[in-house]
Amino acid sequence: MPASPLRVAVVCSSNQNRSMEAHNILSKRGFHVRSFGTGTHVKLPGPAPDKPNVYDFKTTYDQMYTDLVKKDKELYTQNGILHMLDRNKRIKSRPERFQNCKDVFDLVVTCEERVYDQVVEDLNSREQETCQPVHVINVDIQDNHEEATLGAFLICDLCQCIQHTDDMDNEIDELLQEFEEKSGRTFLHTVSFY
Amino acid sequence: MSADEAKQEQVCGATLNCLKMAVDSSSRMSVASQFFAQEEFDENMTFTTSERVVDLLNQAALANSNDSKINILKQVQELIVNKDPNLLDNFLDEMIAFQTDKSIDVRKFVIGFIEEACKRDNELLMKLIANLNMLLRDENVNVVKKAILTMTQLYKVALQWMVRTRAITDKQESCWEMVSDMAGDIVQLLDSDNDGIRTHAIKFVESLIITLSPRMCDSDVPKRQENDISLDRVPKDHPFIKHDSLRDEGKSALEKLLKFMVHPAISSINLTAALGSLASIARQRPMFMSEVIQAYEALHANLPPTLAKSQVSSVRKNLKLHLLSVLKHPSSVEFQAQITTLLLDLGTQQQEIARNMPNLKEFRKRQRDDAEQGQKKIKIETPLVEDDEDKDIETIIAPASKPSAPSIQTETDITADFLQPLLTAENVANLVLISMVYLPDTMPASFQSTYTPVESAGTEAQIKHLSRLMATQMTAAGIGPGVEQSKQAKEEPKEEKVVKAEPVLIKRRLPSITPQEGQAISVLGARNVDFSLADEDAPQAKRRPEPIVPTAQTRVPGTSGRKKIFRLSDVLKPLSDSQVESLKHSAVKRILNSERAVAFSGAAQARIKILSRIVTHFDVTLKVKVLAFILEDIRNRLDMAFSWLFQEYNAYLNKYPEGSPSDYDQCLIGLLSGLQQKPDQKDGMFTKVVLEAPLITENALEVIRKYCEDESRSYLGMSTLRDLIFKRPARQFQYLHVLLDLSSHEKDKVRQQALLFIKRMYEKEQLRDYVEKFALNYLQLLVHPIPPSVLFGADKDTEVAAPWTEETVRQCLYLYLALLPQNHKLIHELAAVYTEAIADIKRTVLRVIEHPIRGMGMNSPELLLLVENCPKGAETLVTRCLHILTDRVPPSPELVKRVRDLYQKRLPDVRFLIPVLNGLEKKEVIAALPKLIKLNPIVVKEVFNRLLGTQHGDGNSSVSPLNPGELLIALHNIDSTKCDMKSIIKATNLCFAERNVYTSEVLAVVMQQLMEQNQLPMLLMRTVIQSLTMYPRLGGFVMNILSRLIMKQVWKYPKVWEGFIKCCQRTKPQSFQVLLQLPPQQLNGVFERCPELREPLLLHVRSFTAHQQAHIPNAIMMILETTNKPEPTLKESRQRDEEEIELKAVPRTAQDMISIRLAQEKALKRQLEEEQKLKNPTGPPRPAHLAPVPSVEESMEFQEEGPELETPNVFISIEDDVYDDESPALESSQDSTHLKKALKAAETIMASDTSKDGIKETEATPETVEELKVGTVAVKSPPESKAAEPMEVGAETEKAADS
Repeated sequence: MPASPLRVAVVCSSNQNRSMEAHNILSKRGFHVRSFGTGTHVKLPGPAPDKPNVYDFKTTYDQMYTDLVKKDKELYTQNGILHMLDRNKRIKSRPERFQNCKDVFDLVVTCEERVYDQVVEDLNSREQETCQPVHVINVDIQDNHEEATLGAFLICDLCQCIQHTDDMDNEIDELLQEFEEKSGRTFLHTVSFY
Repeated sequence: MSADEAKQEQVCGATLNCLKMAVDSSSRMSVASQFFAQEEFDENMTFTTSERVVDLLNQAALANSNDSKINILKQVQELIVNKDPNLLDNFLDEMIAFQTDKSIDVRKFVIGFIEEACKRDNELLMKLIANLNMLLRDENVNVVKKAILTMTQLYKVALQWMVRTRAITDKQESCWEMVSDMAGDIVQLLDSDNDGIRTHAIKFVESLIITLSPRMCDSDVPKRQENDISLDRVPKDHPFIKHDSLRDEGKSALEKLLKFMVHPAISSINLTAALGSLASIARQRPMFMSEVIQAYEALHANLPPTLAKSQVSSVRKNLKLHLLSVLKHPSSVEFQAQITTLLLDLGTQQQEIARNMPNLKEFRKRQRDDAEQGQKKIKIETPLVEDDEDKDIETIIAPASKPSAPSIQTETDITADFLQPLLTAENVANLVLISMVYLPDTMPASFQSTYTPVESAGTEAQIKHLSRLMATQMTAAGIGPGVEQSKQAKEEPKEEKVVKAEPVLIKRRLPSITPQEGQAISVLGARNVDFSLADEDAPQAKRRPEPIVPTAQTRVPGTSGRKKIFRLSDVLKPLSDSQVESLKHSAVKRILNSERAVAFSGAAQARIKILSRIVTHFDVTLKVKVLAFILEDIRNRLDMAFSWLFQEYNAYLNKYPEGSPSDYDQCLIGLLSGLQQKPDQKDGMFTKVVLEAPLITENALEVIRKYCEDESRSYLGMSTLRDLIFKRPARQFQYLHVLLDLSSHEKDKVRQQALLFIKRMYEKEQLRDYVEKFALNYLQLLVHPIPPSVLFGADKDTEVAAPWTEETVRQCLYLYLALLPQNHKLIHELAAVYTEAIADIKRTVLRVIEHPIRGMGMNSPELLLLVENCPKGAETLVTRCLHILTDRVPPSPELVKRVRDLYQKRLPDVRFLIPVLNGLEKKEVIAALPKLIKLNPIVVKEVFNRLLGTQHGDGNSSVSPLNPGELLIALHNIDSTKCDMKSIIKATNLCFAERNVYTSEVLAVVMQQLMEQNQLPMLLMRTVIQSLTMYPRLGGFVMNILSRLIMKQVWKYPKVWEGFIKCCQRTKPQSFQVLLQLPPQQLNGVFERCPELREPLLLHVRSFTAHQQAHIPNAIMMILETTNKPEPTLKESRQRDEEEIELKAVPRTAQDMISIRLAQEKALKRQLEEEQKLKNPTGPPRPAHLAPVPSVEESMEFQEEGPELETPNVFISIEDDVYDDESPALESSQDSTHLKKALKAAETIMASDTSKDGIKETEATPETVEELKVGTVAVKSPPESKAAEPMEVGAETEKAADS
């Protein structure tokens, strides 16, 4: 097991549900984890599908919480949004955008293919400096609370396995194959360089 | 952590506790805050920076956890690299010492430190590069990876540093060399076992390619790397760095990367990394765009089959991403069609493609801006790159419009162009139909995930795309016109290729030349000059940078990584011969051992077939194994054995008539020998193999022969041979020959067996001649003076000059003798050979023929013919035959007739008659008697035995023509002119010896008859006295005889008269009565001879009554009463005279042969004779007439005869009798071996005798003479030494036998 803990980033589009759920669990398990969104804005479900609540990434979870309580406490308590925001704000103050983060990670886990594409594109568009490799793995998770929890556990398992390998670069391929078989899902996987 | 270290730490911990406590508070702070705190602190006390570093280094050395250690080291790095670079050199060694730290992270940190330090102070490269090199070979992959990453940076740094300095020191030079070597090593790591290391190597190669190729006007230059070195900044006239070789290095690195990418077993991560690298190469170095696009095309068409489904989609996603990024680049214009097709295939939307199309106008503007900017920047940084003037120029001319036509046609292009017109609807349909056959049963994962319906089927663009797709495949497979063309190009000399490549570069640059055309031309010219300058050789002897060696432990190199992409050629090493051998052996072993399993599965036959087929191709050792396996259980593996055997035979036949059946031979021999060595052979496996073998080779026959020679198996072996002879007529004589050879085998049992078989063969008409011929050939060998080498088996190491032995002689005879009873005609051959053979052989022949001759019987016409013809020299043979035939049965009239004819007409040797004596008529016998009794005493004895019917004591069925009485009378009546008296005496003695036959009655009759004859026989009185001695009760009868003799005027026969007196003397006083009947004159004569008789007779008369006395005439009384005494001396002298007369008569009366032999032997035996003389001075040396009869009984007689021979005397003396009585006792004490030896000696004598009898008087060999001598000694034994003599004879005979 490498001495240094794995530097993990979990990325979804809005850095609210899936990435935060995973962030929550991973940090509880002692990972050096950060979470991000890749969207241009942070979107939360609104009263109707075509009327989402849109915030920019500067807005804190607390502000969102206050805002939604103000808008329709009933509804947002019902659909769990408030609960989620409440949890989020206890983890960090505000959502972060992946594209704006210049920190170096060992592993980036994305929660849907679109996010994966954006992450990979972003990583490739960056100017390479250290050539430090970063593995990008996509784990498809539907954007709801239940799937987010399940997905988070899967991500956590995955991270733990990777953390336990002696030589991540060498073993990750095989590991993912095993996970695919075990979970019945497919994972996109690529490597990029900082 | 080892116990030692723990201890050390404890101690250190204790001593430095205070120190620790002091810094504890600060070390708990974050690095940043600490740093700031420190900075604040330092503002006041600058002098303490160095102290602080020392302190931190101490802490680091003692730090417990890696985290804190790294933390501390990071502080040190910050201090000495950034804050106070002057300290860098001072503390370098201390920092580097951590490179041997146990912690991977610490080591990684050290690498990072090296990077930072070298970037800060390039000169440090010389010190640190070797350390980095060590770390590059670290046992931990993560350290290695970090080292590779650092090298990616430092390579550029080092190159820049080298380029910048004009005056290059040796140290610098070797430093650069090491950097180059390390770069090469890292490129090699593309083949590492570890996926991660490969990934890092790819990135390094990418950076290497970019660095070692010129940055062009159309190159994308990442902001951060703007100042990085690239080939265009390397001066062409640099004294050490060679521009061109660097360029070539870069190109070869690209080739390696491309080659790496098309590897079929590449991992998805590597592939992703390589795709990314290619994309950035294409963007940064558009000169490689075509290679990159082609690689993408090839990859798209041939995704590695090892990829999983999800990996395929990942790779495709990546490919798409990179294609789009390449497409964005303005230089992609010429490849737009290909890229677009690829992107469409990858499922990219048209609008997305369009979005990524480069905006040329904008691009051009941007380029110009960039160029200006770059120009400015370069100008700003002139101090750094002031040496490279031409670089400025190049960057100035860089702004380029879009490249014109594609510069080079790649192989794929050529093939695609070639294919395009061929792709008519019909052709394509056919292709589809044909390829249907090769489609896999299940859809491959990659196909499934990548399939997109063909949208624009049949359009020009689609056909073009299709042709490209096919061209890509064909190129990958190495076929098509494109490949051929490039092959031709490659065949051209390399120099030309270099020249060729150059114009391309120039061509590309030409369009970009705008106002500064003149300058550009000068640049080209200058470059050429540089080129030649750069060729100068760099000094070779350089000291390599050595790593700063810390005092810490050295690491044991371990294996890093386990996984490697599968490459057949890597995995397959040619096996060593021994491996091949052992594999082969174990494979065969498995087949052999699978016997049971295969039998259960019912494929036993197939197994046998396979096995036998392959076995024929085996080498000897394997064959031996298989053979051993078969022999292990021949009963059940016979099938296999035959299968193999026939396979070998088949192989031989295939080559016939060239090949030799040596393999077949070996197989058969192996089987047979193996079977031969098996202990129990009751199952007839050997026979079976022999009889079923398709061909019996010479060697196999030899094995069979060996088998036959085994006593316990000879029957089995020979019946096998017999079967062969009968069932394989083509070679029957060959087999028969073996059998015949065995008939003279030294082992009795084998020989007997062989003879038995041959006898049966002999009955077969077709084999008869051969057998006979063989037997006769062998027989003929006996003619040779020494045994021919044929007689000795090849295995017997015999000297050629070895003489005939009984053994070898017998060898020649066995077969013949076996056949003889079956074909009597053969006897003549023996006779012919016999006449020519030497004495030794004759002797053996005589001994061995007994059985067969007896088998033939005396009625055999051939035998009779032999007797009739009796070839010269074969007399002994014929005699022997006669003896054998008449040994137990009386001779047949036929035989008697032949013998008589022979005797009378051709060979008047009386010895012929002996065997048939009993068949002759009385008068014939009597006529022959004188001759017979003159023969050797032993022979005479036999004659008498025959005549008297005392032969061998068995029931004598033959009726002698003479009864015993007649015989004795006949003896008495032999004319003394025909035969000497001595022989007659001896003959009569023989008669007297037969007390059973010559009873007192018989003797009485004999005496009576002799008395009544007109002429009194000379030996009459001897016989009378002898009879009286034997039977004293005949006294009265004898008196009667005496009285009657007086009446026949016995005194007229001097010899008889003498005997008469002697008789009277011995029979006194009974004889007184008879004496008184003599006339006075005769009585007086008696007294003259025996004066001692007178007194008793006188007394006797005086005892008469007066009346009785009155009857006695006065004349007689007067004689009685006269006292004149005869002189005893006179009588003695007379006696001596008589002896002398007899002695003289011996040579006269003895046969001529005896005298001749005497003369011959005298010289040889003088020594012995003298001894004899000493022992027996009175006995004259005279050998007996020698004739052997092989009978113990007779030889005893022969000894008894001794004294009689030496002291022949008409009169029997008391002493003689005494000797006679003693001798049997003596003889019985002799052991049987002695007797046998004596017998042998006798035989020898006879044989030599026979040879003498022949017309050719062959000189007796010394050996025969020696034997003769022995015989003589035996015969001559004097009475005095009798007790000792037999022993001597034994010794002598032994000597003879030995010699």
